[in-house]
Amino acid sequence: MVQNRNKLIDLFIGNISNSVVHKILEKAVENEYLSKRYEKELTTSFEIAKKCREKINPGSSLPDKDIKHIKNKIKNKVISELSMRISNGYKNINLELVDKIIEEYLKEANII
Amino acid sequence: MDQIYIPKNRYGFSVGSPVIIKSLEEERIIEKPYFYNINYIEPIKLDIINKIINIIDKNYSYENVIFTGSFLDKGFNFEDIDVLLITESDADIKEKIESTIGIKTHIISIDNKTLIKGLSTDPIYIMMLSKCISRKRFIYDVKTEMNYKLLDLHLLKSKTLIDNFDILNGSEKYYLTRNLISIYIYANSKKISKEIVDNEIKKIFDVGVKEIKENILNKKIFLGKYKDIYGKTFKELIRHIKNGSK
Repeated sequence: MVQNRNKLIDLFIGNISNSVVHKILEKAVENEYLSKRYEKELTTSFEIAKKCREKINPGSSLPDKDIKHIKNKIKNKVISELSMRISNGYKNINLELVDKIIEEYLKEANII
Repeated sequence: MDQIYIPKNRYGFSVGSPVIIKSLEEERIIEKPYFYNINYIEPIKLDIINKIINIIDKNYSYENVIFTGSFLDKGFNFEDIDVLLITESDADIKEKIESTIGIKTHIISIDNKTLIKGLSTDPIYIMMLSKCISRKRFIYDVKTEMNYKLLDLHLLKSKTLIDNFDILNGSEKYYLTRNLISIYIYANSKKISKEIVDNEIKKIFDVGVKEIKENILNKKIFLGKYKDIYGKTFKELIRHIKNGSK
């Protein structure tokens, strides 16, 4: 059971990180047609993250220790993904948005 | 035979007389839609398409209505009907269509300018219009504009499969794979269409679309190849971004 819980937390972290990276890149691309993309068929990371969250402590909040761990891991993953792009000459990536978007998504997923 | 009941003593209608019941509202005769790369469609599907066009005709002004997606594939193995409504305003017509035809419908309202932008930069749009049925004839001779940052953004969605192979169903795996392969082909400046992408999937993964949709995959082999193609595609996009391409 503990192993399952840890796996769910890892899946949650991976998927939320992907969503945060996506959001920040979306802002960097600034393409007006993005919001209208024909993409209903693609399962988004955020939907999967929410499903994982429902299975980790359903209906109750997580211990502070877990929240801190989740936040740190997401931040590290996001920064690493974005830094790799920045070092390859990708411009307009705003790292200052990272904390704000992580908070936003964690609230939406009922983590904080 | 159906029966109808009317008040007694109505002249000319004795009990048991056969009658014709007809809607007061005349159904408009719809011109034959235009087929793009479709050799065959079941007559019942064409009826459904005409019904949808009829509903939209009565309720909205639009530039065109385009049907696409798995509904147009042979057989009845589709989840919903994909309708692209080319219009300047947002059309809230999904419920009306679904309650009339009884099939889940996915409608995306989009203006012409956005569609053209999509066709010039996004393989999903190109693939979508490579096989479709359209209310009106269309010619989109759009010049391809390589926007590698945009492709990187679209590619990121397919990463979901790597991290979540065990929890995704077959359809989800197919759509994420299709997204990856369409970007892989597009980034290499090759021609793209639904058939080309599906054939490439078969060539690379050695499994057909059917097996992916039915989720009968060898995880180790499939995921190994998937990661390889994902990595190669990502590197290619980053290489272009590094060289200063958009």
